[in-house]
Amino acid sequence: MGRLIGRRLLSLIFVIFSITFLTFIVGYLAPGDPILVLMGPRRDPQVYNNLRHLYGLDQPWYQQYFNYVGGLLRGHLGISYRYQNRTVNDILGNGVWVSIQLGGTALLVSLLLGIPAGVFSALHQDSWLDRLNMALMLALFSIPSFVLIPILRAVNFFALYQHGLPSLPAAGWGQADNWVMPILVLAAANVGYIARLMRSSMLEVLSQDYMQTARAKGLTQRRTIYVHGLRNALLPVATVIGPALAFLVTGAFVVESLFAIPGIGFIGVQAIGQRDYPVIQGVTVLLAVAVVVMNLVTDMAYIFLDPRIGAEEGA
Amino acid sequence: MTSTDAQMESATRRSAADAQFMLAQRGAPSFWERFAQNRLALTSFVIILLLSLLAIGGPRFYQTDPNYQDYNAINAWPSATHPLGADSLGRDTLARIIKGLRVSLLVALYVELLNIGVGATLGLLAGYFGGWLDMLIARLADMLFAFPGLLFAILVAAIFGQPVTERFGGIGRLLLVAGSLALVSWPLMARYVRGQTLSLKRRDFITAARSVGARDRRLIWRHILPNVAGLIVVSATLDVAAVVVNEAVLSLLGLGIQPPDPSIGQMIRQAIDYLEANWGQVFFPSLALTIIVLSFSFLGDGLRDAFDPQRR
Repeated sequence: MGRLIGRRLLSLIFVIFSITFLTFIVGYLAPGDPILVLMGPRRDPQVYNNLRHLYGLDQPWYQQYFNYVGGLLRGHLGISYRYQNRTVNDILGNGVWVSIQLGGTALLVSLLLGIPAGVFSALHQDSWLDRLNMALMLALFSIPSFVLIPILRAVNFFALYQHGLPSLPAAGWGQADNWVMPILVLAAANVGYIARLMRSSMLEVLSQDYMQTARAKGLTQRRTIYVHGLRNALLPVATVIGPALAFLVTGAFVVESLFAIPGIGFIGVQAIGQRDYPVIQGVTVLLAVAVVVMNLVTDMAYIFLDPRIGAEEGA
Repeated sequence: MTSTDAQMESATRRSAADAQFMLAQRGAPSFWERFAQNRLALTSFVIILLLSLLAIGGPRFYQTDPNYQDYNAINAWPSATHPLGADSLGRDTLARIIKGLRVSLLVALYVELLNIGVGATLGLLAGYFGGWLDMLIARLADMLFAFPGLLFAILVAAIFGQPVTERFGGIGRLLLVAGSLALVSWPLMARYVRGQTLSLKRRDFITAARSVGARDRRLIWRHILPNVAGLIVVSATLDVAAVVVNEAVLSLLGLGIQPPDPSIGQMIRQAIDYLEANWGQVFFPSLALTIIVLSFSFLGDGLRDAFDPQRR
């Protein structure tokens, strides 16, 4: 088990190197001189050289990369090209916390809805309820978020608002009712995904010998399913966290910008419009590293929860 | 090659073809027969052909300018002049969907060309030769896998977007969008093809071919490639469904085709702001997108079943 964890940590270093290097090199290779854009119509060579030096662009690429990683290690994501006196950390500011709240809640909601939906389907295997439920879950999984948003908004407006019923705000952030629609949209794909996985995992556990043993011992049906079945069926669900986070990252850009939520996805999209490369790079590195670290944590948890994994890999 | 060799080879080929023909006669359904039996896949194939025709020939038959603003038709519902209505700037929705369809299908085509040209080729080489080449390609793919979802495509399109558009115009932008989406697609394609090649390499017929003196080049072209072709076609077809949605996401974030030229993602984005005034303007482009995505998914599933009948 120790060796397995060691290998995971080693691959973590490679992955984080990949993320920072590719992110850096894309910005480095970008055509055009950001300093000229920054200076606008002014053409003072002295100022130009000072600015180039300030951003470290007068150094060779490997030195620049070294500086970039050095900054990242100290928690500095760089200086904005758009606002010379603002750091990327400052611009992202509260956005990080907003995105964590949004993404974390969406993940929690998708687990809370997806797991029961999958268990329900498994317990009613091949009935019409199962088929209907799985068709619904497939739809949730495959409808893109930018199609789901107008559907929800249209239902909200035409079915609730226009009839004077209590309705949800179309966009914004801060009030509790602002949370409902974005989180439903962000959770939708993962609910479908988790439910389908949970169904097959539960079905596999239900067919195991130890389930029959438990029943033969005279345990109640409820106790057999929920104590012996569910606990074992839940294990593989730990592995969905990785793909689920990937959905959340792409979803965050769309959902935050369509609902005007000031998270880092929204800030990133604004920075794209302003060609503020360091901010775009900062958002990319933050999101990618967050996903990698979360993946590592779930993998570790998985190893501790299920000792067979460490043993199987011959560690 | 001497003439006897050529004769022998053509004779072998003929006998192989004969065997296949006889097999078909005896009732084992051929690839096309198996494919044609799947109604859903066949219908999807026809729909894709029709959509492609519409994208290519549509502007010639339906001559409304997709960028012309009709101020009497702002957020209009379908009518005789505007069969699918008009958007918030009074532009004809049908004309814009046809133009957007062209963008979606072109981007998908370019992505799959890159996906097959880069991903499948590298996967095949990695699987066949192994060793340091395999290591190198696997590491390269792993580097790209480090970015979740569309993140890397967003980064590349965001940073290169404006300079590329300034220098190469609309077509440059289209190629950039395709290129950045291909960066997300090819590592997966390479992984599939590598796995399949590895398992083929260990099969007896490869050893047999090698033992009669076949070189690497011949082994790859004549023995490996025909056996991974099915996998490549199926994954490329299924990937189109994802690419069309991803292209819409990039357009939605302002990273795709630039206004005023239409793309489906951008049309949806604009129309969402006027949803309460006219939901039809969100509905029609979304419907077009859904039809493309579903058709390619069903076609891909049908092709997979037809290529590999045992899987069912």
